[in-house]
Amino acid sequence: MQIKIFLLTAIFCIAVLASFSQTQSATITGKITDEDGLPIPGALVKLQNNSVSAVTDVDGVFKLEKLTAGNYALTVSSVGMVPQQKQVSVKQGSVFNVNFSLVSSVQRLEAVSVIGRTETQETNRQAFNVTAIDATKLYNTTLDISGALDRVSGVKVRESGGVGSNFNLSLNGFSGNNVRYFIDGIPMDNFGSSFQINNIPINIAERIEVYKGVVPMWLGSDALGGAVNIVTGDRYRNYIDAAYSFGSFNTHRSVVNTAVTSKKGLTLQINAFQNYSDNNYKVKVEASDIYTGAYAPEATLRRFHDTYHNEALIANVGVVNKSYADKLLFGVTVGKNYKEIQTGARMVSVFGGWHRRGNIIMPSLKYKKHDIVKGLDLTINANYNLGNEQNIDTMNVRFDWYGNSKPNGSSGERSRSLYKYKNNNGLATAMLNYKINENHSLALSNVFSTFNRKGNDPLSSSNNLERPSKTNKNVLGLGYNFDVKDKLSATVFGKFYHQNTSTGRSYTDMAATSKLGYGTALSYFINPSLQIKSSYELTNRFPEAVEIFGDVENQEGNVNLKPQISNNLNVGVIYSFALNSEDHFSVTANGAYRYATDFIYTRLNQNQSKLVADNLEGVNTWAADAEVRYSHKNWLSAGFTLTYQYLRNLQKYAIDPATGEQQTSVSPVYLDQMPNIPYFFGNADASVSFKDFGKKGNTLNVGANVLFVHDFWLYWPSLGESTGDSKYGIPLQLSPDINIVYSLKDGRYNIGLEAKNITDALLYDNFSLQKPSRGFYLNLRYFINQNRK
Amino acid sequence: MKSKLKSALAVMAVVATLTACKKNDESKNITKGEFILTVTPVASTGVADYLVNVPTLDSGAVTTQGNGQEQDGTYRYYLTHNNKFFSMLYGQGNPGAVTAYRNVNGRLNKITNFQTETVQAFAAVNNDVLLTKVPRKINADGATLYTYYQVSTNTLQIEKEGTLDAMAPANNGEIAHFSWLQQVGNKVFAPFFPIKNNSFDSDFHDQAWIAVYSYPDMTLEKTIKDDRTSFIGKYFTNGLGVVENGDVYAFSGSLSTTSDLVNEKSVKRFTDTKPAAITRIKSGTTVFDDYYFDVEVASGNYYITNWIYVGNNKFVAHIQPKAEKGAYTTGKELAIVDVLAKTVTKVTGLPGKAEINSLTSNNYTPKDGKTAYIGVNLTNGLGYVYKINATAATATQGLKVSGGNITAVQYLANN
Repeated sequence: MQIKIFLLTAIFCIAVLASFSQTQSATITGKITDEDGLPIPGALVKLQNNSVSAVTDVDGVFKLEKLTAGNYALTVSSVGMVPQQKQVSVKQGSVFNVNFSLVSSVQRLEAVSVIGRTETQETNRQAFNVTAIDATKLYNTTLDISGALDRVSGVKVRESGGVGSNFNLSLNGFSGNNVRYFIDGIPMDNFGSSFQINNIPINIAERIEVYKGVVPMWLGSDALGGAVNIVTGDRYRNYIDAAYSFGSFNTHRSVVNTAVTSKKGLTLQINAFQNYSDNNYKVKVEASDIYTGAYAPEATLRRFHDTYHNEALIANVGVVNKSYADKLLFGVTVGKNYKEIQTGARMVSVFGGWHRRGNIIMPSLKYKKHDIVKGLDLTINANYNLGNEQNIDTMNVRFDWYGNSKPNGSSGERSRSLYKYKNNNGLATAMLNYKINENHSLALSNVFSTFNRKGNDPLSSSNNLERPSKTNKNVLGLGYNFDVKDKLSATVFGKFYHQNTSTGRSYTDMAATSKLGYGTALSYFINPSLQIKSSYELTNRFPEAVEIFGDVENQEGNVNLKPQISNNLNVGVIYSFALNSEDHFSVTANGAYRYATDFIYTRLNQNQSKLVADNLEGVNTWAADAEVRYSHKNWLSAGFTLTYQYLRNLQKYAIDPATGEQQTSVSPVYLDQMPNIPYFFGNADASVSFKDFGKKGNTLNVGANVLFVHDFWLYWPSLGESTGDSKYGIPLQLSPDINIVYSLKDGRYNIGLEAKNITDALLYDNFSLQKPSRGFYLNLRYFINQNRK
Repeated sequence: MKSKLKSALAVMAVVATLTACKKNDESKNITKGEFILTVTPVASTGVADYLVNVPTLDSGAVTTQGNGQEQDGTYRYYLTHNNKFFSMLYGQGNPGAVTAYRNVNGRLNKITNFQTETVQAFAAVNNDVLLTKVPRKINADGATLYTYYQVSTNTLQIEKEGTLDAMAPANNGEIAHFSWLQQVGNKVFAPFFPIKNNSFDSDFHDQAWIAVYSYPDMTLEKTIKDDRTSFIGKYFTNGLGVVENGDVYAFSGSLSTTSDLVNEKSVKRFTDTKPAAITRIKSGTTVFDDYYFDVEVASGNYYITNWIYVGNNKFVAHIQPKAEKGAYTTGKELAIVDVLAKTVTKVTGLPGKAEINSLTSNNYTPKDGKTAYIGVNLTNGLGYVYKINATAATATQGLKVSGGNITAVQYLANN
């Protein structure tokens, strides 16, 4: 291990030194802003009579390198802006700085909209199979991050209930912890229950990147099926964005984001948010009378013990644009959450007193510096969660769905507990990126995470939770990129994974596990409107702490869980075209094949009271997804996504649970489709925008969205009679949402109205848990920014 | 422009082809009949059995592929009583559910569902099903209680529910954990083994106990004791059998355990000194008589793990070598136990022990004095129903079962 790190570092250093021998050439840099002095990201900067071009970054900054001395005409264009041209003269070995201030041109918008690209669209053009959601367009909704992700092709978010409920995201057939979450490139693994994608409002994000399959080196970690990266951005240096919404089921959400940056580069950023919901939506259940035992089939009842609330504050203070750091931020995330637990893993087990509390106190460090030596960028992130979680189950009763209870022994509702614990999780990441020249770059990344659960339960001294629950993981990666601007992007990489787990069970206590992985990704523009992408990876996915040790709620730990090894192959095509100057189309299609051994999937535990992660010898997946978008002028936008994924069990000989040995006759479910995984689903949306509605500067947006999930079986599809009504399944689901947003004064004030699940359809999820019934929400948002010029 | 639209459509067509679903029509596998097999697919831990109706147990083949009624839950137990088939869900922490079926034209037809608790012992008593939930923890603050439910098989509702003192039957500071329940005349016999707080260990051994309750009042009338054997039956197993003349026979496997700390690990140890044997309670009495049948001597050092009474004083018993004793083990060999003749005769015709994964312990007998049907699950993953002839002590291979392990063999006439 030590030697390997040393060798990798050595190789990297040689590459760095080699770069110094290169001769210096002329460079043009600059910043592009709009009339208000706001940076314009994604603007195209081109040299006339030359193929050299660049696109501005988040800060509106561009850089044209390796120029020979001489006079140039520099043209800048961006969506909705009048293009500008400037003459510049550069000398050998010098850096010429030129800034542009573009003037907006509303009437030109539709003409350039296909060429100009936002950062979001830029992301979509990487070699990786990535979809970026422009979160800013969803700011006037009550969506949280997971709600926005559900609209991406290939993505299915599965929630166990309403606000604050557990979630599980699947990406082209990979689900759960196969998919990793990042915030600004920092893994979110150790953020605790107070800060997760199901309780972070969309307004925190600027965009969300969804990587399907191969994940870029700079996201490190051991993601297997893909990754979700939430980019919070810092587009505005001084701003306030505040939103509040309330609606059905006594749901209140508010979020305030603000930043202040001084001329000297001192900055303070604050994100604060709060969610509250009674989650007392209606469900349809077979409810039994606790006294007679008689079931009322299909009773419609309200949930009565599902209140959830969380409050969080993220504060960062530091400096930006200094000689020693582009960004150096010290921060702290503080928050707490309260969650009542209504059901177990299945809706048959009902609880009325069991709840949880948690808090997060997480100091963090973020450091970023470009050009430590020319072309070498360094990013360091670290954080440690000091928060506590507590599981509170003290009522010795059993509840029914009517909210009645009766005494039931002395062991609590599920298991009498006041267990309070700390997960003691910490994370450190370091990322070095070296751009050798226009075409070649190298990346080295390391991600280390640690977990050590410790706690005690005053109600149970013999609690086996007190065994060591410790795991450390390290992922080291080295990658090489080859880029030809707007034509070709290719990458190869290798990763070294290492995990150390201590479970205190001597017979299963795992020794250190190490694995190697590698992969390659390629994208190619056949012409400017047609791009193809493909990638292959041999990857390893190590068990998460929560999968090994459980979550002390409805997930049971599995200390015997093995890493999943998967061969992933992805291909994709993106094609955009215009029928005429008013009608624009874009079509995206992706295909994926996966072959995984020791496939990690979620099943019910022995008593169906909890979920548990387990390995299946082999599973392969064929997946395809497609997205079509259409826009007419600048007021109509519509599109749909469709995903089909076929997961097949390749375990030919079942393991006898009694003996642990392989059977010699072929398993009855060999080659059967994996149960309880949605395999055909989609989403359609349309929105109409009325500019200058009522008054100049006011906009009215009306949108509709329909989510579709094909019915699927709860257990193995091939087993049992499927013709009658005896086979358990999750029926077809269709859920239409409607939203109306009225923005005043160019978006300073916004009023949104949303109706979710308007047909009051029954929506199910994980193991047939029901999701919220029809709900209405009102959303108010205020946004103002001021930029120092 | 048209060509662009065409290529876009082509891309979509490819996706549509990939998305085309395939449908399997496996209704051809469906079987019907008055015999019921319950089958658990091995490859799907966490899923309960499939209920499969079959026309005969003597021959043919059946599969769970596209056949059988799927049931929710993990562990289920079955009882046929009063022309109904009861499927009981067992799940620690989850409420228990009972589904009642009638057999209509050879197919189980769900009548109703009702909810109870997860129980540790149940039995048919009069026209009821009696279910009892046994505590495992001694309540430091108050009484340690059993909960019982009397479910009417006519109204299919809990008719009566109550609690009983779980410390009273043993009266030695340990919980009396019922091994099973058996109706004897107008009373309920509950053989039990004592357990310590939150453990299956006991400080007491070489002792048989039966708690005797009145029915339906559930008053503890007395505890019958005998120190010639250890406790009767075993966890979730009926150690009693009532023969035609009303006499009750009881087997003991000598299975009391305690735990010692060895190298900081808890290691279980058997504590009984008495041999595995059968004792008797004469009809109409509530005391053990002087009948004693040493099973170990008669069988050549085997003990009984389960039995089914086929009539004419004969039991078909699962037996296990004493040297391979386990507290929860179900024997992989069968023997005919004649309680009157005091003989144990090994059954021939079963597959070799090494090929057998398990024998079912919930089985069917027409009570003709000679026949029982036992499910045999092989290590290769296939299963067969074997027909046992108690007179000849032979086993004959019958119905082949693929797609899971047989967990119960039952019969319910069409009605």
